[in-house]
Amino acid sequence: MAESEAEVPKAKPRPIVRLGIFLISHSCLFSVICCTAGVLTLLLLPVLAKNTYISENALMPGSANPMFSSQEVSEANRLVKSLTSLDSKPVGSGIESQRLIAEYMSDLGAEISYHKFYPRSNQFHPLHFFSYPDSGSTRENVSCISHGLNTVGIIRAPRGDGKEAIVLVTPYNSLKVGPGEALSLGIAYSVFSLLTQVTWLAKDIIWLVADSRYGEYAAVNAWLRDYHMPVFSGLSALKAEICPVSNVHNELKENSVTERKINDGFRRAGTMATALVIKVTDGSEHFEDSLSIYAEASNGQMPNLDLINIVNYLAVHRQGLRVKVEKMRSLINCKWLKILGEILQSLGHVAKSLNPQWKFGIPAKDYVEGAATLASSLYYQALGVPTGPHGAFRDYEIDAITMEISSRVALNNKARKNDFLLRGGRLIEGVIRTVNNLLEKFHQSFFLYLLTSPSKFVSVGVYMIAFALLVASLPVVAASLYADAHKVDPSFGIDKSTPQASATDELSITPRSCKWLNAAKKVFLVHLWGAVVSFLPYFICQIPSCTPTTSFVVWVLLSSFSLPILSLILGSSFSYGRPSQPQKRDWTLLKSVTISAAFIGLCLMSVINFATAEIGALLMVPMCLMAQPLKLDIRSRKLRKFLRVACNLALGFLGFPPAGFFVLKGAFEGFGGITVGDFWSWLESIWSWSSATYLYIDEMGFSVDVTERDDIRVQSG
Amino acid sequence: MVLHCYFHSLGHSRSKELKGNPITFYADIVNAMLIRATGQNLQMEYTRSLKLLDHVKLSEKPGKIIPSGDIAALVYLWNPFTIVACVGLSTSPIENLAIILSLYGACKRQAPLAAFGWVIATHLSLYPAILIIPMILLLGYGTDTPPRKLFLQRRNVEVGDNPPNDRCCEREEVVHRSEVPHVFSWRPVIHFFCWTSLWSVYVLVLCGISVKQYGGLWELFKRTYGFMLTVQDLSPNIGVLWYFFAEVFDFFRNFFLIVFHGNILFMMLPLAIRLKHRPCFLAFVYIAISSMLKSYPSVGDSALYLGLLGLFVNELADMQFSFFLFCGYVGVSLLSPVMHNLWIWRGTGNANFYFATAMAYACLQIILVVESVSAMLNHDRKLRKPLTELQDGKN
Repeated sequence: MAESEAEVPKAKPRPIVRLGIFLISHSCLFSVICCTAGVLTLLLLPVLAKNTYISENALMPGSANPMFSSQEVSEANRLVKSLTSLDSKPVGSGIESQRLIAEYMSDLGAEISYHKFYPRSNQFHPLHFFSYPDSGSTRENVSCISHGLNTVGIIRAPRGDGKEAIVLVTPYNSLKVGPGEALSLGIAYSVFSLLTQVTWLAKDIIWLVADSRYGEYAAVNAWLRDYHMPVFSGLSALKAEICPVSNVHNELKENSVTERKINDGFRRAGTMATALVIKVTDGSEHFEDSLSIYAEASNGQMPNLDLINIVNYLAVHRQGLRVKVEKMRSLINCKWLKILGEILQSLGHVAKSLNPQWKFGIPAKDYVEGAATLASSLYYQALGVPTGPHGAFRDYEIDAITMEISSRVALNNKARKNDFLLRGGRLIEGVIRTVNNLLEKFHQSFFLYLLTSPSKFVSVGVYMIAFALLVASLPVVAASLYADAHKVDPSFGIDKSTPQASATDELSITPRSCKWLNAAKKVFLVHLWGAVVSFLPYFICQIPSCTPTTSFVVWVLLSSFSLPILSLILGSSFSYGRPSQPQKRDWTLLKSVTISAAFIGLCLMSVINFATAEIGALLMVPMCLMAQPLKLDIRSRKLRKFLRVACNLALGFLGFPPAGFFVLKGAFEGFGGITVGDFWSWLESIWSWSSATYLYIDEMGFSVDVTERDDIRVQSG
Repeated sequence: MVLHCYFHSLGHSRSKELKGNPITFYADIVNAMLIRATGQNLQMEYTRSLKLLDHVKLSEKPGKIIPSGDIAALVYLWNPFTIVACVGLSTSPIENLAIILSLYGACKRQAPLAAFGWVIATHLSLYPAILIIPMILLLGYGTDTPPRKLFLQRRNVEVGDNPPNDRCCEREEVVHRSEVPHVFSWRPVIHFFCWTSLWSVYVLVLCGISVKQYGGLWELFKRTYGFMLTVQDLSPNIGVLWYFFAEVFDFFRNFFLIVFHGNILFMMLPLAIRLKHRPCFLAFVYIAISSMLKSYPSVGDSALYLGLLGLFVNELADMQFSFFLFCGYVGVSLLSPVMHNLWIWRGTGNANFYFATAMAYACLQIILVVESVSAMLNHDRKLRKPLTELQDGKN
C-alpha cells in the first residue's frame, strides 16, 4: 500500500510514488471506475469464454470402436427385469436386491464385498475445511438400528498392477428400486460385464452399488472413508461393541449360492483415477436423449476440466446425446439480460465490420444461455454444497462427475429402451476406455474454471480479472483514508508546511503511526465476535429436539449477548461520547482498517472458493466504500447526502446475512411463507457439508457488516 | 502487577492447550521475562541519554515514554507466531531463549552469561554466531544510546556558553558522569572472550563425549551445521531457499549456497559501522536478516524479532508503513496455510501458489528491516536537530 508514500517529503518523488499519490488523491474516481469495470467484466464473461479442448494427449477419446453390443444390452435387460420382478414381490426386504446384484456380479467373475455403514447425522465441524476428511473415529452419533449396505464389485485388470482403479457408482434405493435406478444399474452392469472380457483394461474397475436409503452422498462418502482409512482389528472390535452385529454378511451368505466368492473384508484396488456416477431419469425430455453433467463438489471445487471434456466429446460426437449443464432458469427469461445480449451482439457486428479479425460477438441467445449457466455455476460453487454423490470423491482428490442420462420418452417401448441402453453403455465404455489411457492423474487441464456451456469455459486467469478489478479499489481507498486520517489532525502529521515548529514539539514522541492500533483493536474485536457467532451453532445443534425456529432464536440471543461480553473481556471501549475533534480521525482510521480487513478476507476467500468471494465482493465492496457516519449526513440536509444515507442503510441491511437471504429468497420465490427457521435450515444445510462458505458468510458477513454499522454509529451515537 | 496478571491468565490459557509439553511453554515465559528486563535496561539508558541531551521536556513527561520492556514482552507472548511455534512443539522457543539470554547478559554487562547464551545459541542453530558483533559492542560501549557525536556536540555547546545558572552546572556534572560508558572498555570484552572459549570448550567436550560412538565431533558438525549450510532438506517451509534450490541446476548449487550465505555476511559490516551506537538494535537487525535468509526458517524466528522490535517502540514510533506491514503480516500468515492446503491436500494448486506467499513474506521482512533501520536513523537525526540549531544560534 502506498499510504505512507504520500508523506515522503521529497520534492520530486520517484514515478511509482507519484503514481501512488495520484491514485490516492483520486481514490473516489478510481474506486468507481474499478467497481464498474469489475461488474462489466463479470457480465462480459460469457463472451470471453473459450471453447474447451482436450489438453491431455494421452487420453485419445473415441479413438477405438466401441465393443458394447446388443449382447450386453440383453444382459442389462436381464438384470432390470429381475430387479423389477423382485420389486413387485412383497418380500423384498432390502437385502434381496443387494444379493441379486451380488449374484449377477459374481457370475461375471468379479470380486465382491459388502460394505455396511451407519448413516451419520450431519455434523458441523468448525475447522473441517483445513483438515483431511476425518477418520472414522468419531462414531458417537451412529444409530445402530439403521444401516445401509453397499455392494462393491471389483474387476482386476489383466494389464494392470492393481494400483489404479476407475470407479463406477450407481446409487439406488434398496427398499424400492425405481425404474430409472433399475436402468442405471442395468447400464452399469452391462458395461461391467463387457469389461470382464476386454483385454485392454489397465486399471481395475470398481463398481459401487451405493445404497441410497440414507442419501446418495452419505453412502458414497461412508464407503470412501472406509476405503481410505483402514480400520484395524481393534477398531472393528470397538465398532462391534457399539453396535451389536446383526450379521448381515452371514445372513447374506447363508442364502447365497455364491458363498465362496464373497469376502468379509474390505476390498481395495489402489488409487482411484476417476469416478463416474451414473443415473438415469426417463421421460422428462422433449427433444432428444440428453446427458446432464453435474460437477460441483464441496467448497466449489471442480473436477479436472479434461474429464468433462471427454464426456462431452464422446456424448456429442459419438453417441449424439445432447449435453446439458445446470442453468439458472429464472435468468433465461430475464429482460435486461436479453437486452444486454443484443447490445453485445450488435457491438460484435460493429467490431467485425471494422476488422474481420475481431470475432468476439456472440448471438444474443447464446449470451443469455451462457450467462444463465455461468450464474448457476457460480451459485453452486459459492454454496459449497456438492450437487451429487460425486462430491464425496473430490475430498480425496479424485475427479468425479455425475452423468445423468435422460431419455426422450418413457421407456416402455422395447426397441427404444434397447437403443437407449446401447447408447448409454457405449458412452460409459468410451469414457472408461479413455480414462484407462491416462498415464498419471488428471493434471493437465484446469481445476479452477466456470462453465458457460458444456463446451465452453472461463478459466481462472480470465475470471480473476473481474474479481481483481472489483477489489482493487479497496486497498487504494484504505490508503487514501489512512493518509487522510493523518492529515486531518495537523499535530499528527509531519508538518511540512511549518518547519519552524519547535524542535521539541516535533520530537514529542506520539506514536503517530500507531494511531491505527485502536481501530485495529476494534476491528479485531468485531471479527472475533463474528468467529464466535459462526461457531455458536456447533453448540446449539447439540441441544436435542430443537425446531429450526427456536434454535435460530437461541442463536440470535446468544450472539447478541456475546458482543458486550467480549468487549468487556478485551476492555475495548465502545463509548461514543468522546469529544468531537478526534472522532473524525478515529472514524476514517476505523474505516480504513475495516476496508483492509475486508480486502484481506476477500483475497483469502478468492483462493479458497472463488465464487463465494465474487458474490461477497459484489455485496461488500459497495458497502465498504459507501459507509459514512450517519450523523454527519443527517446534519447537513441535502438530497445527495440523504440519498447516500439511504444507500448505506439499504446496503447495510442487504449485507447482513439473514436479511440478505430473506430478500433474495423473497425475490426469487415470493415473500409468502418465509419463516426465520428457513435461514436456520439453509445454514444447517450449508454447514452440514462443512463448507468454508458457511464460515465465510458468518465471519466476514457479520463482521464487516457490524463494523460498518459501527462506523455509521460512531457518530450517530 | 498488570503484567503478572497477564502472565497468569496467559499461563492458564496456554498450558491447557499444551498439556504434556511444558518445556517450550516455560521457555517462552522466561523469554518474555528476559525481554522485559532487557527492555527496562534499555529504557533507563534511553531516558538518561535524553536527559543528557537536554530534551528535558521530553524526558520529564511521564506519559510520553512508553514502557518498552513491557510492550516487547507482551508482543512476544501474545504474538500468534509464538503461540503457534509453542503449540507446534517447535524447538525455536529454546533457541530464542539462548539468544535472548545472551542479549540480556550483554545488556547487564555480565560477560559469563552473555558468553554462555551466545555459545549455546550458536551451538543450537549456528546463525546467531553473527551476534558476536553486537555482543562486543554491547559489552564495550554499553547499551543503546544516541550517537556519540551528539554528546560531544552537546558538550561543546555547554562549554561554549556558560550561563551562570544552577541547572546548567548540574547538567554539566551529568555530562561528565556520563563520559565513562562511551569509551570502548576492553575489560568486559576480554572477559567475554575468555568465557566464550571456556563455554565452547565445555560444550564441545560434552558433545564429544556424547557422540563418541557415532563418529565423533566431525560427524556431528557435518550432520548439523553442514545440514544447515548445504540446504539438503528441500521440504517446503516459509522461507524461499527450498524452492530456489529445488529449481537450481546441480552444478550451480555450491555457487548459490555461497551467495546466499555470503549475503548475510556482506550485510554485517556496513550495518555494524552505521549502527555501532545502538548494539541492541543492531542485534535485532541481524536476527531479522538471518531469519529471512536462513536455510530452514520458522515462524518462531519471526516471533523473536517481532518481540525484539517492541523494545524500540519509543524510537520507532514514527516508522512508516507500519499499517501496511501489519496488514501484510496478517494477510500472509492467513494465506500461506490456505495455499499449502490447496497444494498438498486439495491438489488444485501447485508449489508456486505456496511459494508466492513465501516470497511475499520475504518481501515484508525486507521492508520491515529497511523501514525500521531508516526510522532509527531518522530518530537519531531528530535528536541532533535541536543541538545543531542551538549551535547555529550561538555562532
